Amino acid sequence: MTRALGWLTVLGLAAGLAAGFGYAPREAVQGNVQRIMYLHVPAVLTAYLAFLLVLLGSIAYLATRRAGWDRLAGAAGEIGVLFTGLTIVSGSIWGKPTWGTWWTWDARLTSTAVLFMVYVGYLLLRSLIEDPEARARYAAVVGILGAVNIPIVHFSVKWWRALHQPSTILGPERSPIDPAIGLALFVNWVAFTLLFAYFLARRMDIARLEEQT
Amino acid sequence: MPSNWGYVLAAYGIAAVTLLTYWRHLARRARALAARRAAKPRAA
Repeated sequence: MTRALGWLTVLGLAAGLAAGFGYAPREAVQGNVQRIMYLHVPAVLTAYLAFLLVLLGSIAYLATRRAGWDRLAGAAGEIGVLFTGLTIVSGSIWGKPTWGTWWTWDARLTSTAVLFMVYVGYLLLRSLIEDPEARARYAAVVGILGAVNIPIVHFSVKWWRALHQPSTILGPERSPIDPAIGLALFVNWVAFTLLFAYFLARRMDIARLEEQT
Repeated sequence: MPSNWGYVLAAYGIAAVTLLTYWRHLARRARALAARRAAKPRAA
């Protein structure tokens, strides 16, 4: 099952690259550097999904005390940190030619950096506590509190004056995006979601094996 | 309008290396755990 998901992910990522570099047109204002969007936006959407699963797993663990929910939260947290890191790095590389700087203390960038640090702290906490029951309990509390940052990151561009552009997708208005660019973005988002599901399945298998050995 | 392909390649290159490294890390960890499990009955 996981192997099949892995091959599906490879196909999805290949389709994403073909859509982003072959099908989608060169953007009129930014030129080719806009193609970083097909990596940057799916990465942050995947991070949101991962941290929402941390929230879900944490609440479910505190309600049921079943180890499986803690495994889900821990695995999703690790992968969420990975994708948040990719979001920050790809955004920084995109920022240099478009804004003229690698980094600025803009509301979106700063809140994303805080989100990253909170979940790095979540992983550190998990690695520091040896008792599985105590680790799961404390991590669940941090996993629930950490999720408060997700809407702050997403709506930061609306709540504060920011250099970062407002949400092109997941916004209240109809997206002004060109259909070909929108389709390429969608294909890449599906590919990243598949990649997340594959990593999550493998990471949860490892956590299960670790508990048994 | 400059092409800026260097930035695009840097972003995708870093992402590819990071994701491949994480995938290899998961594969190595799974193999090590499977080997430890297989060795356990022999040691007992």
